[in-house]
Amino acid sequence: MNSLGLLPTAGAADTRRAVRELARPYRGRAAATLVVLVAGSAAGMAVPPLLGLIVDRVADGRAPAAITQPALALLVLTIVQATLTAFGTAMIARLGEPMLATLRERVVRRALSLPLEQVERAGRGDLLARVGDDVGAVADAVRNALPALASSALTIGLTVVGLAVIDWRLALAGLCAVPVQALTLRWYLRTSTPVYAAERAAGSGRAQQLLESIGGAATVRAYGLGDDHGARIAARSHDAMALALRTVRLQTRFFAQLNGAEWLGTTAILLVGFLLVRDGAVSVGEATAAALYFVRLFDPLNTLLGLFDEAQGAVAGLARLVGIVGLPEPREPDAPPLPRDASVRATGLRHAYAPGREVLCGVSIDIAAGEHVALVGVSGAGKTTLAKLITGLHQPTAGEIFIGGASIADLGPTVTRRTVGLVTQEVHVFAGPLADDLRLARPGASDDELWEALERAGAAGWARALPERLDTVVGHGGHRLDAAQAQQLALARLALADPPIAILDEAAAEAGSAGARELEASAARVLAGRTAIVVAHRLTQAASADRVLVLDQGILCEAGTHDELAGAGGRYAELWDAWDQARRVAPRKTPPGP
Amino acid sequence: MNDARHRLSGAALLREAVRGRRRAVTGGTLLLMTHQVAEALVPVVVGVVIDRAVATGETTALLWSLALLALLFVVLSNAFRIGYAIISRAGFAAEHELRVRLAQRVLDPAGGATAGSMPGELLSIATSDAKRAGAIAHVVAFGAAGIAAIAVAAVVLLRISVPLGLLVVLGLPPLLVVVNRMARPLVRRAGEQQERAAQVSGLATDLVSGLRVLRGVGAQDAAVERYRRSSRDALEATLRAARMEAAFDGAMKVFTGAFLVLVALVAGRLAAAGRISIGELIAAVGLTSFLVGPLEMLTWVGAELARARASAARIAAVLSRPAAVVDGTRAPASSRGDLRLRNVSHEALRDLTLDVRPGEFVTILAGDPDYARALLACLARDVDPQDGTIELDGTPYDAIELVQLRRTVLVAPHDAELFGATLAEAVAAPAGSATALDAALAATTADELVATLPDGLDSSMTEGGRSLSGGQRQRIALARAVLAQPAVLVLHDPTTAVDAATEARIASGLRRVREGRTTIVLTSSPALLAIGDRVIVIEGGAVAAAGSHNELLHRIDGYRDAVLA
Repeated sequence: MNSLGLLPTAGAADTRRAVRELARPYRGRAAATLVVLVAGSAAGMAVPPLLGLIVDRVADGRAPAAITQPALALLVLTIVQATLTAFGTAMIARLGEPMLATLRERVVRRALSLPLEQVERAGRGDLLARVGDDVGAVADAVRNALPALASSALTIGLTVVGLAVIDWRLALAGLCAVPVQALTLRWYLRTSTPVYAAERAAGSGRAQQLLESIGGAATVRAYGLGDDHGARIAARSHDAMALALRTVRLQTRFFAQLNGAEWLGTTAILLVGFLLVRDGAVSVGEATAAALYFVRLFDPLNTLLGLFDEAQGAVAGLARLVGIVGLPEPREPDAPPLPRDASVRATGLRHAYAPGREVLCGVSIDIAAGEHVALVGVSGAGKTTLAKLITGLHQPTAGEIFIGGASIADLGPTVTRRTVGLVTQEVHVFAGPLADDLRLARPGASDDELWEALERAGAAGWARALPERLDTVVGHGGHRLDAAQAQQLALARLALADPPIAILDEAAAEAGSAGARELEASAARVLAGRTAIVVAHRLTQAASADRVLVLDQGILCEAGTHDELAGAGGRYAELWDAWDQARRVAPRKTPPGP
Repeated sequence: MNDARHRLSGAALLREAVRGRRRAVTGGTLLLMTHQVAEALVPVVVGVVIDRAVATGETTALLWSLALLALLFVVLSNAFRIGYAIISRAGFAAEHELRVRLAQRVLDPAGGATAGSMPGELLSIATSDAKRAGAIAHVVAFGAAGIAAIAVAAVVLLRISVPLGLLVVLGLPPLLVVVNRMARPLVRRAGEQQERAAQVSGLATDLVSGLRVLRGVGAQDAAVERYRRSSRDALEATLRAARMEAAFDGAMKVFTGAFLVLVALVAGRLAAAGRISIGELIAAVGLTSFLVGPLEMLTWVGAELARARASAARIAAVLSRPAAVVDGTRAPASSRGDLRLRNVSHEALRDLTLDVRPGEFVTILAGDPDYARALLACLARDVDPQDGTIELDGTPYDAIELVQLRRTVLVAPHDAELFGATLAEAVAAPAGSATALDAALAATTADELVATLPDGLDSSMTEGGRSLSGGQRQRIALARAVLAQPAVLVLHDPTTAVDAATEARIASGLRRVREGRTTIVLTSSPALLAIGDRVIVIEGGAVAAAGSHNELLHRIDGYRDAVLA
């Protein structure tokens, strides 16, 4: 089962195949774009010969009026070239951007349906980097590098043709520069790749340190760690600076060597031009045109060679994106059975995050439709894992889960997630208007339905007080919601998604005691009418459940009503005693005050 | 000291950055000027080769003119290589210096720099703004180099022919200015479109960040659909932007190209009339097309300068924020841990008077989170109370050196950040004695947690402990606070994420490990409140009741309701 390892990167062949596949609908457009670009560059090619013609006419001692005609031709050519190039550039965007859009949509679609286990094992950072940085790198390449690359390559190619039209020996002279450039480029790409990688790593190390120290400034001050963290930031920043300087040195060496190639080519052309003019093979004007051709090439050449870096980065990013797209889709059954009711049954569930470290060791449960069950146990007992398995977010290593009598495996991911909802203590507020956040759970919901859900989650009060109510931008970069509000929002989403079975995993943990009670009331309203499994540290929630299941070290050790278990002297009684003792009002030791 | 901070402006910061490395900036600038001038001379020298050698067929002329070209390339190449490296080093150093200065200000014990900013904002100031401001070195050097190149080209052109020179010098810059002006709305609209397009990337990362939440409510199809719509919008915007930019580039090329044709026409006619040579004709055309480069560079320099100033202003604003408190000068008189708060009024606190005796274990129930927040801020001396005094072992709080004060009174934040790459680093385990470490881990039940991990204390954690569960993080943070062994330890809701049984063990563990040292716990958990020698209830901003947990349960209905839920 390789599919559960790290996130894959596509090989070169797969990447090419994926790009060809993306490009297939645009083949006609690609051909038209190429024609326009070639025509534009070709028009540009006529400029040096026309300037050469002016030189020739001067050299021939023609009258000043003889200059007007080639100059007018130059003007026409300039306009034609500029217009064609502009169209060509816009056409490249029309070619590359839709492909890019399709690619990023596929990446996000696959990313959002990846098995959570795989994402967690690979680290969420990797996936975030792919949908963020890698998409960005490919987009930049499509937007900036591609047009420049196309026009530079065409100009260079056509220049060689132009030189050859004047005289093949001039073309040969110009080509003297090519081996130098090729060697320079090879050296540069080999040397720079690891340096750039190191620079990027140093940059993210610096960002990480800044985030840690500045984000944790209060903690830094409380523990008097200011000097220590200041020094750490300085060290990371210094590392990043040293590496940035190394890349600058590489770049300047690269361009210095390219200067050498420019010199070599220019000198060779002038030398050959000198000999050819002396032998009468070409005119002075033609030699001038050849030299101008070559000098005009400096910029496109440097652009082209300089872009290889960016192109390399984009290709690496592309391979990582294609790697995501190429992952197998989750299997959906053709005709999934319908769950008979909202009951949950599991037999012999086992699960291990790492081989040999089982967190669930054969758990069987049976929960009737509409029953409210509390899942109790100390930290690390396996409660959260059990919740994830029932939701279908993780796959058990052994055992089977039945929802309404049908196995999760037969139901498939789509039906399972419509049937079972999960709210954890991890809160995330999606950036954007509050209404958009809520409608993720039920896309077609009316405003009234949104308010009703907020009302049930106990969030209507503060939501009404927001500056623009449902339209208020919340989440990253918007109005900040506190932990309890974010949790109520999560409950409102659950109410909107309206699954017959709901699991709450410590959804009230971070709200302090008063806030927790309020959240419990919200949860009770949202859970009404559903089968509910509540993972609870606060045992008041257990006391009000229909049944309590106690997990201990991956084993279901007790099950029963609160009253049965609290007096049974087992694990639950122990937990309840700890909880209750703290809350019990002991008999008065002191006489009542006045 | 503080006065100097107040009057800091962005421009001053930039001047300082340049002045601090005047020699590097001057040297680099001169070299880059040389490079630009040499670039300008390439077409001139090519003209000379054609004029003197190719057109005449003289071998000696060919040799010396090609040698001249070689020399020019040697100068050009080396001037850029060395000059750019020098300027980059100066710019990076300026950037580094600003970043370190900013970090020191933010982490300064006196505080105040973070007032009103989100961490993300400060992070972006410390990274991108420092970088932009540091780029002032490049701005100076390339600005000067561009001006030098234009001046040289102008002189050469004027020497070739005064009318031709005047045509170029007086015609080209206004032309470029006019084209840029005309295009400005176009460029701005294109920028807006690009920005809209960029939002799609933010949406993708936001959705992936909330992946688990999406999965929990089966919202991934809706999310995919939302992303698809946003992506298509972005595509439309990008295509519009690309069309505008292409149109702008095309127009630019038409205007500059037409101007070049005009110069070629005039120069050609002058050459045909015998007023200038063929070489000068080539040089004139070459120089005019070269000039577009430095002129566009100056436009870039102008924009970059504006950005550098805006960034420097943002940095200066943080640097000049007033300190939250003024550092004291005295060392704490002793470390008995005797705290006296007298008539303290601050934000939600009203006239709060409270004594905590050395070695006492006090638990506090704050009726409103605002009371807790204000009290913690005062105890940590993140602020000075608006009214009233705090004394530690008889010394006024504001007279004690901040670093010393916080070493004596540790106020451990509830949402404390964990630092380091391993648990050992996170609890700041001392190198030597293991007894204190073991005691701290045991008291906070962190030892059990450590025992379940494959590498024990050396287990790695990522991104400030986000790889740990909430309960695990809380226990590690608590262990760190205990291990610091301050004379006075102030904790705030330290066990919200652990189960009842573990909480009970932490409560007794804390009691044991802090025996004989002053400890204050702000909490609403009965398990923690119960272990206090004294429970203080804060209501209405002041002490409303004090006594043992049990006594208060009987005596005060509000206490019972608040605690026993």
